[in-house]
Amino acid sequence: MDRFENLARDYSQAPWRKQLQVIALFLLIVVLIALVAGVYLSISARTTAVGRDIQSMQGNIKTYDREIEDMQSQLARILSSSQMETRAENLGFIQVPTDEILYLSVPGYVERKAVVLAPTSERTVARAIAMPPEYTESIFEWLARQAVDWYAVLTEEQR
Amino acid sequence: MRVQERSQRFSILGMLLSVFPIIIILQMVRIQANPNLTQKLREIGDALTNPSMTIVPARGQIYDKRGNLLAGNRTVYEVGVELQDVENPMTIAQTVSALLDVDYEDALVRASLEPSSTSVYSRLIDNVPPEEIEKLNVIIKQMDEMYSGQKGKNKPSLRGLVSYPHLGRTYPEESLASNILGFVNAENNGYFGVEERFNSLLAGRSKKVRVPLDPSRAQELPSVPNGANLVLTIDREIQRAMEHVIDKAVAETGSASGTLVVVNPKTGEVMALATTPRMDLNQFWKYDQVFPKDTPFNRAISQAYETGSVFKVLTMASALDVGAVTPETVFVDTGVIEVGGAVIYNWNQGAWGPQDMQGCMQHSLNVCLAWIATQIGPPDFYRYLKTFGIGHVTGIDLAGEAPGRLKEPGDSEWYAADLGTNAFGQGVSSTPIQMAVAVSAVANQGVMMAPQIVQSVISEGYQHQIDQRVLSTPLKAETAKKLSKLLARSLELESSDALVTGYRVAGKTGTAEIPTPQGYTSNQTNASFVGWGPLDDPHFLVYVWLEKPSVSPWGSVVAAPVFREAVEELVVLINLPPDDIRHKLSNTQ
Repeated sequence: MDRFENLARDYSQAPWRKQLQVIALFLLIVVLIALVAGVYLSISARTTAVGRDIQSMQGNIKTYDREIEDMQSQLARILSSSQMETRAENLGFIQVPTDEILYLSVPGYVERKAVVLAPTSERTVARAIAMPPEYTESIFEWLARQAVDWYAVLTEEQR
Repeated sequence: MRVQERSQRFSILGMLLSVFPIIIILQMVRIQANPNLTQKLREIGDALTNPSMTIVPARGQIYDKRGNLLAGNRTVYEVGVELQDVENPMTIAQTVSALLDVDYEDALVRASLEPSSTSVYSRLIDNVPPEEIEKLNVIIKQMDEMYSGQKGKNKPSLRGLVSYPHLGRTYPEESLASNILGFVNAENNGYFGVEERFNSLLAGRSKKVRVPLDPSRAQELPSVPNGANLVLTIDREIQRAMEHVIDKAVAETGSASGTLVVVNPKTGEVMALATTPRMDLNQFWKYDQVFPKDTPFNRAISQAYETGSVFKVLTMASALDVGAVTPETVFVDTGVIEVGGAVIYNWNQGAWGPQDMQGCMQHSLNVCLAWIATQIGPPDFYRYLKTFGIGHVTGIDLAGEAPGRLKEPGDSEWYAADLGTNAFGQGVSSTPIQMAVAVSAVANQGVMMAPQIVQSVISEGYQHQIDQRVLSTPLKAETAKKLSKLLARSLELESSDALVTGYRVAGKTGTAEIPTPQGYTSNQTNASFVGWGPLDDPHFLVYVWLEKPSVSPWGSVVAAPVFREAVEELVVLINLPPDDIRHKLSNTQ
């Protein structure tokens, strides 16, 4: 029994060493926590900064959208029919008398159509069809197409 | 004993302290066990940390056929007070009443409100233009500089007075086409015209979103598409010219009002629709002044009236089409006819003797047309009128269209005499657009196209064309051709003021007595004219209506010249050469 106690005492660590271990462990935990906290703080600070940027940019988008609408209306006011007429009169233009109008046949002249301010759905479909097959076909389809083309060339040459 | 006492006190304190966590735990259980309460509390929490925000899309723009902006948006400001910042409500009230025309008492009451958890902001005025806000900001700055050092309750201060920008409706062309466009009020609701008819399409869909106050939780706001843009069939230049023409006509003839409708009979496109009165749409609050009492916003579609002799076009068309008469049929006019017990006379009370159908139309003989209606018979006559759309709305893309009134056999108010009077446009009411559309069937080989104001809709990046529709085919092409020629010849034979040099046109005048509760006792009339051209290839149909002209009661005197003036302007604007040049040009191509 004594022998065991002696052995345990022999292999037990010194009290100062144990304290050091505890302190080291404690410090390690503190450092780890500080590291995690630091990383968290850094990330959350960046996230918040980016978030503020997003909020600010959303505000800018709103302002720009409003300004675009506003400017379109300002332009329309400057180009309104009454303004244009006044400007034309100031520049010395007069309304053409009906009997002074000369009509000419101009080859290729296309009558003014109604305004197109956005792509029509038909045009979008047409553009989709016009896309070359290289953009849509798979490698096997491409190989098959190449084979058909080669065969066609060969048979043409044999004739 | 002392130790025991102390131990008891600690036990009581311990028990008391443990009550609180127990209450908290019980409350947690109560909340978790009650889904409604959970939801409610979550909403309260969300409202505090993620306040809701409504994203209002920009209202869609309205363009004319050539891409000119007729209705757009501009920055306007809402002026209000942040109640917790207000120092002197009187200064605020004085400033806004002097600068922004806000009622002083009202502003004072609003600025004096006590801030609370439910009221933190009070609106004083909306739709303030940027120029006014600039002036207001200068005053705020000056006052801040002047009185910033002073203290005291009565210190003049504009603190708390704020302004927030947002989009408001604007109409760059002011009153041009105002009767077509309608307007948008301060609450962004469309009234009248296209603005009302397509209100939901133009307004787009608002979206309510929660926006976290915490910037680290900031998210991209959802994309809310703007309201759809509309492209109209109206051409700004033509509309302006027609408005000038009708304004001039109203002034010269001393009429109560004037209306002018221009449509393309082949497509149904409304090229212009000019009527009086008109208002500057940017000042929509003046609506009551411009349109007092029951004044319709757009007479062309909303005011049905007895059109008089222009209606004879429809009677004659029906008769020729059903085979009741031919252009060569001769009617001996004795100056009087009795239909269903009603005695009908001609406009001049005269007897015109033997007249073929051209003579009947040329001299606008009521007696002849009443006889023709009897030859058609009530069933066919009213069937044709219904096919022409009389008594029904045309379905034009504008709000507030009136159906007019057509009494038919079987109706309690229909009498046999109505057949005779309806034949020359009495006892039946229709709107100018109805008449223009109905007569367009004669101009367009018997096919009646639906009137169209909106040509295309631009929504989410694509322009969608709106198809032209056939409303009905009331006539055979041959009938339409015959009648067109007959009416063109009629105008030429009577040397009508409607004739346009260089262009062969067909048309018909109309003079209608205005019914009163006592019958046709008024001396006032409605003068109308409907005409179209060029005869061989119609590009336009023009309908003119002058209400109660004072210089002359006759349509041939007051309305026919307006048609000529309108067409003279129109042919230049649509690049339509005179007939001979047009034929030459088409031969060379």
